[in-house]
Amino acid sequence: MSVWIPLWLRKLAAPPHFYCIAGKLRRWSGRLAVLLGIIALYGALLLAPTDYRQGDAYRIIFVHVPSAWMSLFIYILMGGTALLGLIWRIKLAELATIASAPIGAAFTLITLITGSLWGKRMWGTWWTWDARLSSELILLFLYLGVIALYHSFCNARQGARAASFLTLIGLINVPIVHFSVQWWHTLHQGSTINLFGPSYISASMLWPLLTMTLATKAYYLASLCGRMRKQLLWQERGKHWARRIIAMGE
Amino acid sequence: MSRTLLLKACTAMLRHDLTLAWRRRADLALPILYALIVTTLFPFALGPDRLVLQQIAGGVVLVIVVLAMLLELNTLFREDSDDGSLEQLMLSPQPLAVLLAIKVLVYWLTSAAPLIVLSPLLAGLMHLAPRLLPVLMLSLLLATLLISLLGAILMALTITSTQRSGMLLALTLLPLCVPIVIASSGTLVAAEQGLAWVAPLAWLGAALVLALVLAPLSCAAALHIGLDG
Repeated sequence: MSVWIPLWLRKLAAPPHFYCIAGKLRRWSGRLAVLLGIIALYGALLLAPTDYRQGDAYRIIFVHVPSAWMSLFIYILMGGTALLGLIWRIKLAELATIASAPIGAAFTLITLITGSLWGKRMWGTWWTWDARLSSELILLFLYLGVIALYHSFCNARQGARAASFLTLIGLINVPIVHFSVQWWHTLHQGSTINLFGPSYISASMLWPLLTMTLATKAYYLASLCGRMRKQLLWQERGKHWARRIIAMGE
Repeated sequence: MSRTLLLKACTAMLRHDLTLAWRRRADLALPILYALIVTTLFPFALGPDRLVLQQIAGGVVLVIVVLAMLLELNTLFREDSDDGSLEQLMLSPQPLAVLLAIKVLVYWLTSAAPLIVLSPLLAGLMHLAPRLLPVLMLSLLLATLLISLLGAILMALTITSTQRSGMLLALTLLPLCVPIVIASSGTLVAAEQGLAWVAPLAWLGAALVLALVLAPLSCAAALHIGLDG
């Protein structure tokens, strides 16, 4: 491994260390997720005003949009960990890629389902072959492909490496799918919240949305740590430290 | 010196693989028959109405060709992996990416090229307007080459997986093919409406140029993952 990686980071990458720290991280980020989620839901369902055109139905945005962001965010993150895992053969990075995939798939599914409910109310149809809907669906297929590929190998590490490679190919494909589908057909509204430039949403609606985004991120971290710990323990089950933990019955 | 050696190795492999394919020419007929039979199912399912069939003809032919190629993809690398010659390729002093590119070329020649030759017949069965035929064949030419290159990467990746049916390959390959399908059907739709159809075709061509360079390299990398672990 290269010299420029600081010592504490290398220590962290040692499985027993990571197992311990991930446990703490999981506990705290899980609590943070619940707390932020409750605050966001309170703001979203009770404090935010009713939309003058969409009525109360718009409130599904507080679940729909954070999940949509997470669905892309997790895939991009997976691309990063896949690259780390493939180039430096870091075991934890491979684990993170594999552990992220089901969470990302779940967020994508939530996005599709809430979008479908919203679409039924606003557009009068459960599903339409619109650009954003289609590219979200393709994203779901990409996630499922990664998961299926991982599970089709006997050797877990080989499966993880193959799945990482597929993630990278998919990552190149995500923008291509996005633009090609957009060129193909579009109906979905443009984005109302812009990182650079003015957002077209009132502040009383924006803060619950952003809080919910933070809550989903915290949940992702908690879930990721939990999954990685479990998988790590399974893969290292022959090692001394793992046996001790299993014997302790934690 | 090394360049002539590489050229020699490539031509030897090309001749070897094509000879093998020719000795089993009955297998070559399978994708053709598959495409024909699936095409005839459409009029049975949708009714023989000429207008209905005409409207979906281009898309149907495109999807059938993609599916036929997907089924054939399982043969790429599989036998070479079973009899160990794939490992020999990896050990050979010649660059693996170039040798794999030859394999992909043979795969394209044996599975996709016959389908392209057959496509006027398929299109005729679906009552596609004859003036659209050249556009269809052109877009099929580019699309099948792209799919062969993409499919080779995934096939290399899944070569030692326990899942030997084509389902896994379909699940991983087809989402990646969406832009290709969109661009080629976009070409056809534009030609049908009398618009300029070169733009989407040019996009396909650009993607193909990129894939020609990058896909063999990533195919070699995928093979290393697939075989070494």
